[in-house]
Amino acid sequence: MNELKLYGLLIRASIRSRMQYKFNFIFSSLMALVINVMEFLLIAIILNRFGDIKGWGLLEIGYLYSAIILSRALYRTVASDVHHIERYLVNGEMDQLLTRPIPVLLALMSQNFNILAAEFFQGIIIMTICINGLMAAGQMTWFDVPLTLLMIVCGGFILFTIGLITSTVGFWITRIRDLQNITEDAARNAAQYPISLYPKWMQLILLTVLPVGLVNYVPTLYIIRGEMGPWVIGLVLIFTAGFLWVGLRFWRVGISRYQSTGN
Amino acid sequence: MLNTVASSLFGFIYVSIWIGVGEGSSLGEYGVQGMINYVAFNQACLWVTVFLTNGLGLENSVRTGQISMDMMRPVHLFYMLMCREWGQIAYQFLYKMVPIFVLYVFVLSLSLPDRAFTWLLTACALLLAAYISICVQYLIGVCAMWTTESRWLVWANFAVSSLLSGFLIPIEWLPGWLQTISRLSFYPYLQYHPTRIFLEYENGTALFGSLAWCIAMTFICIAVTAIVRRKLEVQGG
Repeated sequence: MNELKLYGLLIRASIRSRMQYKFNFIFSSLMALVINVMEFLLIAIILNRFGDIKGWGLLEIGYLYSAIILSRALYRTVASDVHHIERYLVNGEMDQLLTRPIPVLLALMSQNFNILAAEFFQGIIIMTICINGLMAAGQMTWFDVPLTLLMIVCGGFILFTIGLITSTVGFWITRIRDLQNITEDAARNAAQYPISLYPKWMQLILLTVLPVGLVNYVPTLYIIRGEMGPWVIGLVLIFTAGFLWVGLRFWRVGISRYQSTGN
Repeated sequence: MLNTVASSLFGFIYVSIWIGVGEGSSLGEYGVQGMINYVAFNQACLWVTVFLTNGLGLENSVRTGQISMDMMRPVHLFYMLMCREWGQIAYQFLYKMVPIFVLYVFVLSLSLPDRAFTWLLTACALLLAAYISICVQYLIGVCAMWTTESRWLVWANFAVSSLLSGFLIPIEWLPGWLQTISRLSFYPYLQYHPTRIFLEYENGTALFGSLAWCIAMTFICIAVTAIVRRKLEVQGG
C-alpha cells in the first residue's frame, strides 16, 4: 500500500513537470490524434468499400481496434518508461534508479508519466459508437459493458507484461528497439484485426508466445459474437494474473543480471 | 535483422487482410494475387521510400549543438545531409528491402516483370521517390529549429503517407475527396506509382510527375535553408 502511495506521489510530480511545457503537451496530443485517426481511417475505408472481412463488419472491427487502443493507452500511460528502458540501459541511467529506496520497477514506471490523451479520446469515441451500433443490432446488451471494461483493463495488464518481458531481455542484449518492433508494434498491429484472418502459424503465435489475441479477440468472440461461453472471460482473467506473475519473476531475474554501461 | 523480420511480419499481416477481403470481393483489376503483389512490393520498398532517418538527424543536431558546426561548413546543409542519407538508403536497400523482397518472392509468389525496361523504370521511380522523401525529412528536420516536438511530425508524416501514398489501399479505392488530396500531393509518387510500374499496371509517364516534385521540393529545401541561416538557435552544445 505504501508503495502505491509512493507511486501516486511520483506520478503527480511527473505530471507537474510535464505541464510546465503546455504547448508541447497539446501539440503532441494533437499529432497523436492525427496519427491514430489516419490509422483507423485506413481500416474504415477498406471496410466501407468491401463490406466486411471474413464476416467481420466495421462495428466489430472498430470494437476490436478501440479495445486494443485503450488497453495500450492504459499500459503506456501507467508504465511509459518500461517501454523506453533501452535509454536507461545504453546510457547507464538505470544506476540512478537502483540507488532509490523503492523497487526499481516502480521507480521506472513513475518516470516521464505520460497521459495518452489522444489515444484515450479516440478509443472511447470509437468504442462508444461501436457499442451503440452493436446494441442496436442486438449483438450486445448493457450487461456486456462492464465485461468490455474488464477486457480493456486485463488487456492493459497483458500488454504491460509483454512490454516488461521484452524490456527484461534488454538486460542481456541491451538494444531492444528492434525486438519491440516485433513483440509490441507488429503484434499490436495484428490484433487490430480478427486473428482468424491470419495463417495458422501466426494465429498460434498471437495466442501463445505473444498473447495479444487474448487482449481483445478472444473476449470479443464471446462478448459480441456469443461464441464459446462466459468461461472465456474467467480464462482471460486467470491467464492475465499468471502471465503478469511470470513477467514480474522474469524481471527479477533480469535485474539481477544488470551490468552498468555508459558513463 | 530483427527489424527486417518485424517489417516482413507487417507485410504478412496486410497480405492476410487482403486475402480476407478477397474472399468476398473480386478486388477489381488487381484480383487477390494482384493485391498480394501490390502490398508485398509496397512493404519491401518502404525501406527506400519512407523509412529514412527521422528528420535526417537534424533534431539531434539541434539538441547537441552540432548544427552550428554543420552550418559553418563550406557546403550546403541540405546537400551534406542528402549525401549522408543516400548512404543510409543504399544500406537499407541492400540489407532491408532486398531480403524482404526475396522472401516475398518465395513465400507469397510475388510476380517479377519479364521486361528489363520495367525493372529500369521501377529503379528510376524508386530513386526519385527516395529523393522526394529525403526532401520531406529535411523539411521536418528543419522544424527542430523552432520546436522541440519535431519528432511528432515524423510520425504524422508516416501516418498521412500510409493513407495517401497508396501503401495499403490503391488510391483509386479511396473516397473521392481523399483521392483528390492524394493526387494533388507528392505521396502517390512514393509508393503507388513505383509499385504499379513494377507490377506493369502503368507505363512510366508517372515519372514526369516524380521529377516535377523533385525539382519543386529542391527549391523549397533551399529556400527554407536560407531562412534557417538568418537566425539559428541551438538547444545545447
